[in-house]
Amino acid sequence: MTTEFDVEFIERTDRNARFLVRGLTPAFANGIRRAMVADVPTLSIDTVRFVENSSVMFDEMIALRLGLIPLTTPLDDFELGDTVTVALDVEGPATAYSGDIVTSEPGVEVADKNIPIIKLNSGQRLEFEADAVLDRGKDHAKHQGGVAVGYRHLQKVEVDGDLGEFDDEEPQILRGVIETEDGELIASSEFDHDLTKLYPGKELSVTDVPGAFVFHVETDGSFSVEELVDRAAETIGDRADELKNAVAV
Amino acid sequence: MELRVIEKTDEELRLEIAGEDHTFMNVLKGVLLETENVLAATYDVNPEQSGGQTDPVLSIKTEGGADPLDVLEEAAGSLKTQTEAFRDAFNAAA
Repeated sequence: MTTEFDVEFIERTDRNARFLVRGLTPAFANGIRRAMVADVPTLSIDTVRFVENSSVMFDEMIALRLGLIPLTTPLDDFELGDTVTVALDVEGPATAYSGDIVTSEPGVEVADKNIPIIKLNSGQRLEFEADAVLDRGKDHAKHQGGVAVGYRHLQKVEVDGDLGEFDDEEPQILRGVIETEDGELIASSEFDHDLTKLYPGKELSVTDVPGAFVFHVETDGSFSVEELVDRAAETIGDRADELKNAVAV
Repeated sequence: MELRVIEKTDEELRLEIAGEDHTFMNVLKGVLLETENVLAATYDVNPEQSGGQTDPVLSIKTEGGADPLDVLEEAAGSLKTQTEAFRDAFNAAA
């Protein structure tokens, strides 16, 4: 059985994208979504060795905050369980930001430099060395590369005719992406999520297009959307391979 | 991925797949149901009397004299082809 997939991007930035895939089964779409959330590993601070912490917060509270800071993750260079050493040294009065963290690997750095870790008063100091480990979202949510991943059916809008002369026009609210009769793809945000703004005075019908899924993927900055989706599909393929080999034996 | 055969006859198979969850099992089940000679395919992560979640147990029933293990191998191969096709299509568009 060969399946033809057809992928089309609707919106795309580095961390955020919306794309349409045709030819997917619901099971496959959901498998990819779940793999993006739980199976694509990212680096995250896991063990912290405090040299000095005279801030107002306990070591553990700071360690928790550190874990939630996204780190850029070049997946080709690391394997599950690999660690990268990072360090920080900030003396008050100042606010320690994620951007103050220095790393030992060139490809690994904080994805956002403006995350406050803690505000330090004069005389207070935060100095630590920490190990960031590569692990999966399945084990801890701080390792989730995909932070907002979901899909909806593509919706086809057809014009059935004109609205009756004395009919009230009611708003037709809809979210996601629609396909017009000409095959054009329009994100609902472009017409304020109200179909009557796109087709004033028309009688419309909206149906789901079978096998066509519009994915919305947002990453935490560890890697690009393209990398996340590709890696997610790869993990499923790897497991299929593994199963095939295990059965053959 | 460790496999443990619980029950195996000519046309039925119950197999425990260690370390997997819905992510992979549901996709696999979906592909199995589209495979030829498969009469029934399902999986369960919480079988009766197990007292909680276990490793998923895959059940396959075949028809037309097909060996369930062969069918499973075929389905796994087909799934691999599909993921590769998806990656190609996605990377081409990206």
